[in-house]
Amino acid sequence: MPVEKDIVSRAIKGDAEAFAELYEKYFGKIYRFIYLRTGNQTEAEDIAQEVFAKALEAIGSYRWRDIPFASWLFRIAHNQVVDHFRKQGKVERVELEDNVVAADEPSPALVAERRFELEELRANISKLSPAQREVITLRFGAELSIAEVAEALRKNTGTVKALQYNGIVALRKLMMGDSQRWTER
Amino acid sequence: MDRKIEDILDECLDRTFAGETIEDCLDAYPGEASELALLLEASCVVMRGCAAIQPAPAFKARTWHYLEAIFRDRFEGVRSAGVVPIWRRAWTMAMAGVLLVLFSCVAVVAASTNALPDEFLYPAKLAAEQVRMTLALSDLGEAKLHLEFAERRAYEMGEVAQQGKADRLLVLAGQVAEHLGEVCVAEEMKEVAEEASAALAPAPSLSAGTERSDEGTEVEELGTLLSQSREESLEALEDALARAPEALKPILRRTIESVAKDYDRTISIIESGSNQ
Repeated sequence: MPVEKDIVSRAIKGDAEAFAELYEKYFGKIYRFIYLRTGNQTEAEDIAQEVFAKALEAIGSYRWRDIPFASWLFRIAHNQVVDHFRKQGKVERVELEDNVVAADEPSPALVAERRFELEELRANISKLSPAQREVITLRFGAELSIAEVAEALRKNTGTVKALQYNGIVALRKLMMGDSQRWTER
Repeated sequence: MDRKIEDILDECLDRTFAGETIEDCLDAYPGEASELALLLEASCVVMRGCAAIQPAPAFKARTWHYLEAIFRDRFEGVRSAGVVPIWRRAWTMAMAGVLLVLFSCVAVVAASTNALPDEFLYPAKLAAEQVRMTLALSDLGEAKLHLEFAERRAYEMGEVAQQGKADRLLVLAGQVAEHLGEVCVAEEMKEVAEEASAALAPAPSLSAGTERSDEGTEVEELGTLLSQSREESLEALEDALARAPEALKPILRRTIESVAKDYDRTISIIESGSNQ
């Protein structure tokens, strides 16, 4: 990814425009990843802000050759989420707050339906094993590639692919339990 | 050699992320099509759900203001601290002084004090604030001004809420966060300058202890002012909440929470600075 490499290099040297580009590209993904893990808008906002503040503090020590930038950033996000749950002394929660944003102001009924679907999804993701949950939230919430997920979690790609497969199989079973949308093979 | 289903699923997910349809993948792997179809359908439900999660635009903008202030402090602020010649600062101050006199001569400044966003005199109010900021003699003075302006923006938030202007409310909330971010920047810049002068100093003087105690007093003073400002701003906003149109109350409530958080964050940064 030569273009991103160039942007990251400029940000490291103090180019505010380059940092803004990285912020635009990753802020939504980081927030989505954290929100899927916490299920709470306020907590997700606080943690997302901390992640970027920490990234800004540490960006001088980032080296492209060691790890892709996305993996480095999501490693910070992952650590922040883990720290958050440790400080709070609680396990990952299931309930979701109203956070479904749509650009074209949909009807309240549509918003309620989307929220219901999202609650169901978040509840199902929270029932996965911790390793499957990490892979699924990074792959789908953050839209990272398998290689980037592997770097972020310090696992090999084969393991991550297996966790992804098992996670999707488990999610499908859970979805079938939630509704009759799915038909058995 | 047959590929593992994990590898095939991963490849198909990449293709789906890139915009291909599930059918394209199933055609490529007819032997695994039945299992793959179920897994990809489940994946699409997950993708759709995830896509619906978006940060609030106001929060995203506020966070950017906060980060930009840190970024400026870290890179541009430090860079410019040693480069701008004294004569240029003096010249800027002299010009700003002339401007201030001009502004003072016209009653516009006084009349604009209570101007609200979208009112005719509001730009004059902001210009007068800029001039006062340029004339600030110390970092502490600048920090105090930012605090005063943050309080003003909070008061204006209450007023625009009465007028039902949700968009203005969010812009002002972003400006409160920006001013509070600048309070930290001013304090941090002061620390950078102090560290630099300490590194250049030949030997500790007898007055060093007194100077440090003066710095401690300044930080304490700023901490006290911040707490008072927090109380007054939130009081004004809570008062506005009671009088705001019903439709605007949820957004105003959220904005009050975020302003309170901005204040708390600033207070904790200033306090952590004073404990070092």
